[in-house]
Amino acid sequence: MLIQEIIFYAFSIIMIVAATLVISVRNPVYSVLYLILTFFSAAALWILLGAEFLAIILVLVYVGAVMVLFLFVLMMLNVDLSRVNEGFVKNLPLGLLVAAIMLAEILVVLWYKGRTGIEDFPIPEPLSADYSNTAEIGQRLFTQYLWPFELAGIVLLVAIVAAIALTMRKREGVKTQSIPKQVQADKRDRVKLIDMPVEGVEDK
Amino acid sequence: MNWQDLQVAAPEIIVLLMACGLLILDLFVSEQRRGLIHLVSLLILALAAIITLRGIPAIDAVTPVMAFGDTYVRDSMGDLLKVFAYLLMAMMLIYSRHYLRQFDMYRSEYYALALFALLGAMVLISAASMITIYLGLELMSLSLYAMVALKRDDKVATEAAMKYFILGSMASGMLLYGMSMIYGATGSLQIHEISQAIANQGSDNMILLLGLVFTVVALAFKFGLVPFHMWVPDVYQGAPAPVTLFISSVPKLAAFAMTIRLLQDSLGGLHGDWQGMLLMVGVLSIALGNLAALAQSNIKRMLAYSTIAHMGFVMLGLLSGTPEGYGASMFYVITYALMSAGAFGVVIFMSSKGIEADNLDDYKGLNQRNPWFAAMFALLLLSLAGVPVLVGFFAKWLVLQAVVNVGMTWLALVAVIFSVIGAFYYLRVIKLMYFDKADIETPISAPSDFRAVLTGNALLVLVLGIFSGPLIAACMAAF
Amino acid sequence: MLSEYWPVIIFLAISVGLGTALLVIGGLLGPSKPSVEKSSPYECGFEPFADARMKFDVRFYLVAILFIVFDLEIAFFIPWAVVMEDVGLTAFAAVVIFTLELAIGLAYLWKKGALEWE
Repeated sequence: MLIQEIIFYAFSIIMIVAATLVISVRNPVYSVLYLILTFFSAAALWILLGAEFLAIILVLVYVGAVMVLFLFVLMMLNVDLSRVNEGFVKNLPLGLLVAAIMLAEILVVLWYKGRTGIEDFPIPEPLSADYSNTAEIGQRLFTQYLWPFELAGIVLLVAIVAAIALTMRKREGVKTQSIPKQVQADKRDRVKLIDMPVEGVEDK
Repeated sequence: MNWQDLQVAAPEIIVLLMACGLLILDLFVSEQRRGLIHLVSLLILALAAIITLRGIPAIDAVTPVMAFGDTYVRDSMGDLLKVFAYLLMAMMLIYSRHYLRQFDMYRSEYYALALFALLGAMVLISAASMITIYLGLELMSLSLYAMVALKRDDKVATEAAMKYFILGSMASGMLLYGMSMIYGATGSLQIHEISQAIANQGSDNMILLLGLVFTVVALAFKFGLVPFHMWVPDVYQGAPAPVTLFISSVPKLAAFAMTIRLLQDSLGGLHGDWQGMLLMVGVLSIALGNLAALAQSNIKRMLAYSTIAHMGFVMLGLLSGTPEGYGASMFYVITYALMSAGAFGVVIFMSSKGIEADNLDDYKGLNQRNPWFAAMFALLLLSLAGVPVLVGFFAKWLVLQAVVNVGMTWLALVAVIFSVIGAFYYLRVIKLMYFDKADIETPISAPSDFRAVLTGNALLVLVLGIFSGPLIAACMAAF
Repeated sequence: MLSEYWPVIIFLAISVGLGTALLVIGGLLGPSKPSVEKSSPYECGFEPFADARMKFDVRFYLVAILFIVFDLEIAFFIPWAVVMEDVGLTAFAAVVIFTLELAIGLAYLWKKGALEWE
């Protein structure tokens, strides 16, 4: 148990520090890299909770694919680093004020109600050794949560349609190879036979 | 999944299949025959309306019917809202065809995305589980973000899409955070199980309360209520006019259903807690919406602030927590969507040759240029202002009655005072149309289908006002 | 279940430790005498023409988005593959419908020419 706790706290601390750095470093590319570290630590925590499949998906999809997109966007935008933090000092007092009010509100609610709720959540039963998170997800996802599952497919379809609608442009005057056209090529369209008198030969 | 589930969810399934079919059809239709896509879209809506109105043949459809492992619910509230969603979308499509041609946006993606947004709204209206609520919301929102950005080379539209997307994602994040807390406190994602759990364990759980706060914040974002309203004017102004029309109508119906599902059906046990929150955002929205609308010179921004004020009224009905109040709010949100669709229809009508007529000055002397449309617009504006006999008046009346019945007379009084202030900016547009001289005196006209639908839209406001009984009864019967 | 992750933890610990150690040792022991010429960008001996951070074409983004969509599709198949025999025909139908939804997407983007690299 102790080792698990050490691992939990280690990854939690890494995650909190990395998440703080995501929003505090100047260079957006570094932000993305810290975000990767945050996701990675989160994946480790999920494994501790027994959610193996989700942890692997987090690493594969978020770290592997979504973060690449983030970097793409940063490269496309060509962010001017010197202007990123413009207005930071000017807006700081207002931001701090709003943050303080929100913190105060949360604290007031906490004190007013008094019940933190932690005693309402008993420590869950430890999972059995042959527990498979992937199988559990499979059994729920394709039976009980079938409707949401199909909707998730539609959300992905909308992503395809929207991405094409927003980013695809047809360029004019691009020279490309079209295989169907090549196959359909016919000698009648290309070769023209013209009768010509041949020089040096007498007409008879 | 079995046969009955498919029957219960038939409207969604039909729209889903047909939207996919439309995508495929589009691949084989040439640019010149785009009208076909338009017609097919309208047919899909008609078909969906028939299937929704037909009900479920096998079962008595008065009671809510659950399907798909209790993640989907079909009830009379949902059916009514869906039918109006089809109607609003059909109006939007007819209004927008001419506009899309002129603004070089006449692409099939517009129709596909609009249908997917409608599907999202339908899923949201019929959601019986937190997961379905979230997926419906995302499906609707993602399609809307893309629709706002469809005018790709327009700086203002792109900026509006960006703002809408970032703030919308924030709201989705808040909603997910709230949902996870509610799940933590009650151990369930199904709406009726959550309400059961709250009934069993009491409502003084801290986590539950924090979850409620985040949920209300997300709802306020989606409705565009003060202080979460910042995106509304910018998005309404920047988006192409038909998309603005769409954003101001169908998603509002969906957001209403979402509020009922989340606050009443699942967190009804916390009514005492959320009443205060809705009271705050409601009163602030009515006050700020009406006051800020006075200062606008852009008609789309003015209508945006008017939306904020109207959504504040919807909150008043909801916060009363009585079936009567919910019915009144539902009536309000449906009639508001109809009026707003008409008003933006006129904005679309005025836009031409790639220039949106969104300045108030563009409406000067509209009476000389097209008297019939000026009259229709005046009718819609008077209804929005809440002038008696028109439907807007009855909507306000019902909501205020519900509020007074739960003993909040002062609240009704505040709402009335700000509505009277708000009436000024609607009347100002009418004054511009009738008593000012037009800068350009060329008459303007529109295609015949556009004229017919706009006329029907405006007259509906009048007819629903005079014969408001059946719709009010239907709304009240839903709760 | 968690005990199966021992090798992963040990691997992580060693790789993090080794990486840190190499950087630290290199930083401490290696000589460091920077000069203007040394730290300026090197491009085959001549002066660099332009900034190395050039703008990316938006088309890369489209490809990446499409990759993510189909990546997620595969991710949804894995739990089904694990429990295929337990969940039966309904789940099979569900997965087929899900695949069809994305197949429509694939057909759409193919015909629209999103896969063409002009």
